[in-house]
Amino acid sequence: MTGGDAPTWKVPPRWVLLVAVLSIVAAEVGGGAMARYKVELTRWARAGMQARPEVHGLVGVRDVDERILDEALVKFDAGLRLFHMHAEGMGLVIIATSMVAATVIPSPAASRAIIALLTAGGAGYPVGYLVWSALIPSYGLEQAKALAEWLVWVPFGSATIVALWCLVGLVAWSMLARRRA
Amino acid sequence: MTGRAELARIFLRPPSVLPVLTALAPVIITALATIISPAAAHHVGSYVPRDNAVTTNFKQMKFSVQAKKYDVALRLFDEGALRTEMRAHAAVLPPGLEDGTRAALLAGDGPEVERRLMIFFAALARDLALEADRQLARPDASAEARAATGRKFLEAIWRYYNLVDFAVATRDNKASVAVRLAFDEAEAAVKPAAVGAAPADPAGIRPPLQRIAQVLSTLIERSLSTPSSMTPRRNS
Repeated sequence: MTGGDAPTWKVPPRWVLLVAVLSIVAAEVGGGAMARYKVELTRWARAGMQARPEVHGLVGVRDVDERILDEALVKFDAGLRLFHMHAEGMGLVIIATSMVAATVIPSPAASRAIIALLTAGGAGYPVGYLVWSALIPSYGLEQAKALAEWLVWVPFGSATIVALWCLVGLVAWSMLARRRA
Repeated sequence: MTGRAELARIFLRPPSVLPVLTALAPVIITALATIISPAAAHHVGSYVPRDNAVTTNFKQMKFSVQAKKYDVALRLFDEGALRTEMRAHAAVLPPGLEDGTRAALLAGDGPEVERRLMIFFAALARDLALEADRQLARPDASAEARAATGRKFLEAIWRYYNLVDFAVATRDNKASVAVRLAFDEAEAAVKPAAVGAAPADPAGIRPPLQRIAQVLSTLIERSLSTPSSMTPRRNS
């Protein structure tokens, strides 16, 4: 790399990389813990559900209740798996998109805002799956989902969406500006 | 190549803007889908109801009997959840059902095994229908909660009855039709309300549940008095 004016990929701020890597680390630790403590986690969730029969609509008949508990436990496990997958994926998405933002957006203020949104949204969104899983035993499938949605998925997901649309707009804008120049 | 600003660069030429936009397209499309359809946006996995230990054991036994592997079916019966369940329900089942099933397996009498298993599952379904009727008669629960309870019971009843519906239809076609019609009626009574429609009427589920219990009781009584050798077989 010798040409001083030749454009190059810019690395996003270190804290962004730290958050992204932490997200991936959390995903790996979560995945490992999920496998290692599968029985303990299932027991904990099952006991929590059986302690709140009215929340889960348990009727006291094994043939009926087993199906309800089975579905809740499958979803509980799915939440943990989805956290693992999303945290891994979003870590990489944060790195890739913030790098695009750092490279393409000419305004430092806009670049900082978009990178902050991408990082917060990308790191926060997967946590919603953990929250969902953790709330299932206490609140039931649907209420736990609604809580996770409004506490985590909607705010952090919206932050990512808004940031991505702004990024697209600015990338397109810079494309037009280049043509004009 | 000196100073922090230089270190914070990766020495590759950045792509032109078009490839960047192309690369971002899947993310954008996903984001767009999230806005258009928020309910489906958060993938939370899907649940496919699984067989329980009893229905799994039944299916294993059924396939073994159909293949005339009676020794395998007998082992599955001796070690499986179905026999344990038969013992657990012994008080409400026709006397000698477990011993008779074992004897039929030992004798390699497929139709008799089928008849006895049909009686067992019909009895399980009948007891569930009676319990559902009892629980739904309680006035303390809300209409919505009773409808939800009704749906769960119907699911459990169907899980067992569905296993032996063919055997029931073969022996008593009218009973099979009566159970299925009552089941449809019960389902309609507790169907989740459509968007903007009136809520389900959980009280409407009780008469069909009572009919299911009554038809199955009659079927069990008749089947006990009719050995498998006298049962007309359908060509299907």
